[in-house]
Amino acid sequence: MSKVIVVTSGKGGVGKTTTSASISTGLAQKGNKVCVIDFDVGLRNLDLIMGCERRVVYDFVNVVQGEASLKQALIKDKRVPNLFILAASQTRDKDALTQEGVEKVIEDLKADGFDYIVCDSPAGIEKGAQLALYFADEAIIVTNPEVSSVRDSDRILGILQAKSRRAEQGEEPIIEHLVLTRYNPGRVDSGEMMAADDVIELLSVKLLGVVPESEDVLNASNSGEPVIMDEESKAAQAYKDIVDRFLGEEKEHRFLTAEKKSLLKKLFGK
Amino acid sequence: MPLSVALRWWYSLKRHTLMAKKIIDLKGSILSFTVLKLYNDNIDETKQALADKIAKAADFFIGIPIVLEPQVELKNPTYLALLIEYLRQLQMIPIGIRSEDPAIQEQAEFAGLALFPKETSKKKMPKEIEDKPVQAAAPQPVEEGLASAMRVARAVRSGQQIYAKNRDLIIMGSVNPGSEVIADGNVFVFGKVMGKVIAGSSGAEDARIYAKQLNPELVCIAGVYLLAEDIDDVYKQSFVEISLNNDKLVFNNKILD
Repeated sequence: MSKVIVVTSGKGGVGKTTTSASISTGLAQKGNKVCVIDFDVGLRNLDLIMGCERRVVYDFVNVVQGEASLKQALIKDKRVPNLFILAASQTRDKDALTQEGVEKVIEDLKADGFDYIVCDSPAGIEKGAQLALYFADEAIIVTNPEVSSVRDSDRILGILQAKSRRAEQGEEPIIEHLVLTRYNPGRVDSGEMMAADDVIELLSVKLLGVVPESEDVLNASNSGEPVIMDEESKAAQAYKDIVDRFLGEEKEHRFLTAEKKSLLKKLFGK
Repeated sequence: MPLSVALRWWYSLKRHTLMAKKIIDLKGSILSFTVLKLYNDNIDETKQALADKIAKAADFFIGIPIVLEPQVELKNPTYLALLIEYLRQLQMIPIGIRSEDPAIQEQAEFAGLALFPKETSKKKMPKEIEDKPVQAAAPQPVEEGLASAMRVARAVRSGQQIYAKNRDLIIMGSVNPGSEVIADGNVFVFGKVMGKVIAGSSGAEDARIYAKQLNPELVCIAGVYLLAEDIDDVYKQSFVEISLNNDKLVFNNKILD
């Protein structure tokens, strides 16, 4: 059974694309056949983070508009078998996507035997974001521990519950998961950041994982490699946990409390 | 939402008038008007059609307020003025216009007519609320007997708005920041209130608000409202009841003791 997952947030810049890239890579590493689609038409980023920007010939819009076949547009990842990327178009705008067109692409991917279809949503609550979530079976809400990000996530959760296909057809609701990114327990302790518990309470969504604030995320983006592949990094461990929990494994949450720095570490910075 | 905006507006007016000695009272009220729908912008044909209609029951139309609702684009710029003139000749009182068309709205302004909003609120709101039984019960042609409370079995999220017309509202989850829950009757919230809560939105002064925990953006009963900063922190800790007494909101956190 194929599953459509939307990675969404409402607010921009909270880590949707980073999360989409790492989760789809993680799912593929576990042996699943995964396709990750960039819905951010006009502002494509996913191909950069996946490191395949130079291999984009046809994109998602071409397929939706019938100018290319799905096979032509799917970019096979070079590092992980069974992982495919459908890039967004940089030159078109969001109106280039239609609901029927998106539906056909998703149905074709399902027929092609993909286990997971990960939809990387654009920011906002407009058409692009609504199309990205419309066909979803599960949703990963990416939030930063910060008031405006939480508010926007709350808004997008309302849209998930009202305007998705599952909601419109009265089916079982979309399963919601919360991923808290850029979490810095030190700053939570000093009151600069919202605590995970407060975010969870407000959104009333089950926590899938916490990704600690980390320089590795930026470095990974710049080098075109999903951060989950950086074995050393805490962010990678966090995303690995997230993938495991998503697949049903029980794992204790990590990265929620501040690391105690030893005197030496304090003195030498790290 | 126009309703709550209107409520705040008239209450702020009312507060100002209260400061001085009470001379006038501005109250929100729901009235019904006769709407004249226009499907043609030819003034002669419209006049003829009106004359035919009125010939059947002339007395009935004398002195009645009329709201115009053009269903077509009014290409003739004098049409509205001529029509208003003609309606007055027939002893009707054109008072306003209902249209989304900016050109028509501008003409209406010239003609001294009030602008009425489209009837969107009724249709839009049940759609936002995905509770099926609620939707089914929404159209209530005859308001007799017991209208049971509307129940929302989840959190109300930012940007969502719930309106319980002519009845109480029960919210099982929290009312999140940026959301609004409105009822003509009482409002009960079993979660945390962090958004706006409006009870007695059609003017029922005996309506009350009950909340398990209250830290709202605004609470309002029958047009009398308070913002978060005006509410004493002691009422933000535990179960609280809000009622209206002599145009003042009264908070009670001891009713469960």
